[in-house]
Amino acid sequence: MRKEFYIVVMAILVLLVALGACTKEVEVIKEVEVIKEVEVEKSKTSRLDTVKARGKLICASRNDVPGYGSLDASGNNVGFDIDLCRAVASAVLGDPSAIEVRYISASERGPTIQSGEVDVLVRTVTWTTSRDSQWGNYVQTMFYDGQGFMVNKSLGISSALELKDAAVCVTQGTTTELNLQDYSNQNNLNISALTFEDTDAVVAAYQSGQCDAFTNDRSQLAALGSAFDNRDDHVILPETISEEPLGPVVPHGDDQWFDVVKTVMAVLVYGEAYGVSSGSVPSSATGDTKVDRLLGIEGSFGQESLGISQTAAQDILKAVGNYGEIYDRNLGPGGINLPRENGRNALWADATCTDCPKGGQIYAAPLR
Amino acid sequence: MATVLRNLTYQGIPVWRNIFVIQWASQILSGVLVVVLVSWFFVNIGNAIQERDIPYGFSFLSREYQTPIGQHFLDYKSSDSFLYAFVVAATNTIVVSIVGVILATVLGIVVGVSRMSGNWIVSKAALVYIEFFRNVPLLLHLFFWFYIVLALPPVRQGYVIAQRLYINNGGVSFPWPSPTNAGLAATWVLAAVAAVIIGSVVRRRLTQRERETGQSSFPLVAGCAAAVVIGAAAWLILSAAGGAAPFVISQPEPQGTFGRISGGFTVPGGLIALLIGLVTYTSSFIAEIVRAGIQSVGRGQTEASRAVGLSAMSTLRDITFPQALRVIVPPLISQCLNLTKNSSLAGAIGYSDLTNVAKTMTQTAPAVSIFILIMAAYLAMSLTYSLIGNLYNRHKRFIGS
Repeated sequence: MRKEFYIVVMAILVLLVALGACTKEVEVIKEVEVIKEVEVEKSKTSRLDTVKARGKLICASRNDVPGYGSLDASGNNVGFDIDLCRAVASAVLGDPSAIEVRYISASERGPTIQSGEVDVLVRTVTWTTSRDSQWGNYVQTMFYDGQGFMVNKSLGISSALELKDAAVCVTQGTTTELNLQDYSNQNNLNISALTFEDTDAVVAAYQSGQCDAFTNDRSQLAALGSAFDNRDDHVILPETISEEPLGPVVPHGDDQWFDVVKTVMAVLVYGEAYGVSSGSVPSSATGDTKVDRLLGIEGSFGQESLGISQTAAQDILKAVGNYGEIYDRNLGPGGINLPRENGRNALWADATCTDCPKGGQIYAAPLR
Repeated sequence: MATVLRNLTYQGIPVWRNIFVIQWASQILSGVLVVVLVSWFFVNIGNAIQERDIPYGFSFLSREYQTPIGQHFLDYKSSDSFLYAFVVAATNTIVVSIVGVILATVLGIVVGVSRMSGNWIVSKAALVYIEFFRNVPLLLHLFFWFYIVLALPPVRQGYVIAQRLYINNGGVSFPWPSPTNAGLAATWVLAAVAAVIIGSVVRRRLTQRERETGQSSFPLVAGCAAAVVIGAAAWLILSAAGGAAPFVISQPEPQGTFGRISGGFTVPGGLIALLIGLVTYTSSFIAEIVRAGIQSVGRGQTEASRAVGLSAMSTLRDITFPQALRVIVPPLISQCLNLTKNSSLAGAIGYSDLTNVAKTMTQTAPAVSIFILIMAAYLAMSLTYSLIGNLYNRHKRFIGS
């Protein structure tokens, strides 16, 4: 019995020593990890290099709303958001098809961009201050939207203020969900909200009459409504209850990448302002300094310090076209037919041409 | 000879083969392993949170939530705090899980017993039911029932039965007692619980006396009567003292432009779809558990029971099933836990369960904290079920085993 006791004590001692050794080993591993972290830190400061090395741009977007991101007849994902993603891929990789699109729900947007697992989030994201501080860096507004309501005409109502005691369908994780409550409180409407994870379920519930109204950004109401069989039975009420500036978001902590994406958006906008479209991208000097600078033929707008090719703008404009083309193809006459002329989403200023639309809010940092 | 003997004397077991040492060492080793793994896990989370600057903290809980919750059984207004909104959402999940567990267990037992039936059609129908419902993913079930519910007429064209029962795709509404005064109502509920307890005591006493004396004294009737009399007396006294009855029946009624039903009690459409989906899905698993339990009872038991003249029904109720319970209960508890956790898919079909509301909360509060909270909430619910289930299981164990 005594012997056994000694053996146990010895065994425990041996184990303790082994443990000590183990913890030391763990520490060694930790040091290695620290070194690794430093490396990660270094590579983290350059998402651009990561994307180039990967040969593919990872975007988080959608495939359930015509105009922004939906599947066409041949199964390709097309839309405004998808085109912005393709523009970034052309700038960085010279190939608009070098993208991997991850389809996420509205409520997954925050975690997805926070974790940095995607390079760009372009999924009808409304810019808000708390999202900007918590999710990632909001690049710039590429579409000005506002929240509205869609109802069935048979209800005979003509104003959102008549939605007293109504049940309203809304998508989870959207600013519209939050605005709805504000609007209901302000106007004493006692609206009850039915919250769904997916847009498809929202539409199904609205069409079946489980909700009396459907709320979303106006452009999305128009887009989703355009796919209804009985589009004419539904009406979008005149009230716009919120500001919804939409645009791409990049992960926090990488200024260079933030700048690159911002510049790509600027190229799209100035492409239109200077009248350079996908069909007419000159490859030799035009004599117009601004156009030549845009196309990288003469001078620079910071390509070198951004780490993109001198002629990146040519790649972008050839591959996806300028802002106006992207708009027309997806949201304009080629897509869901939202009017643009004289609206907020027209260009702010025409730089050289006199035919360009005037007076909108779309503008970008001057390319210099 | 002496030397040989000395060489053969017992030398003791070497340390590495000593069962005592091996057991202790393996215990310590696995303990260390668990600690290292768990701490690595948490350190990693901590690092990731810090590295990515992910907000974290629980101070938001006292802030106003300011977001709608679609369906709620507790009163809720948007100026309530996050903490209260969380409780409201958790209640929605608890309602689903309690109602779901009861329905799934009853249905599961019925189908499981039918599966064992000698009637060919009944047995095969049960087989088809089981194989259909357990072999299709739950989310598809939910969407299926969701669209079935949506196919009901909308609220303004819904079915109205006797001006009392409203059935439409917004839900099913019916009259329901509503408290006139919270204090009064609570007092009466307490009195009613006491009445039921007293009634059951009376019944037990009378049953015992009946057994001892052989004189019939109608224990069940007497027990029920005692409970009803006490409950009614409490009602009358409280009504007189409070100036109003503790509860009045609230009638459902269409209201406003949209004819949404207010008053009474409404089981929302999303909840109906969720419950049907969860109950059919889970009951198919429970049915198989019941079948396994019944089959585990020796054939001799059935034969003996039939030999002494018990009917087939009585054999099942009094002989086979009680013995099968000890096999049925442990896996049945797991199925109840599964049902509770599976209810987190409710967001897909628009029912405001805990997960659905919590996901919305992540918009205005730190996601990491929210997810820690909902994990804790589900864990607490599951552990409570396990506890109740295990107590019942202990109760149902074979005496002596």
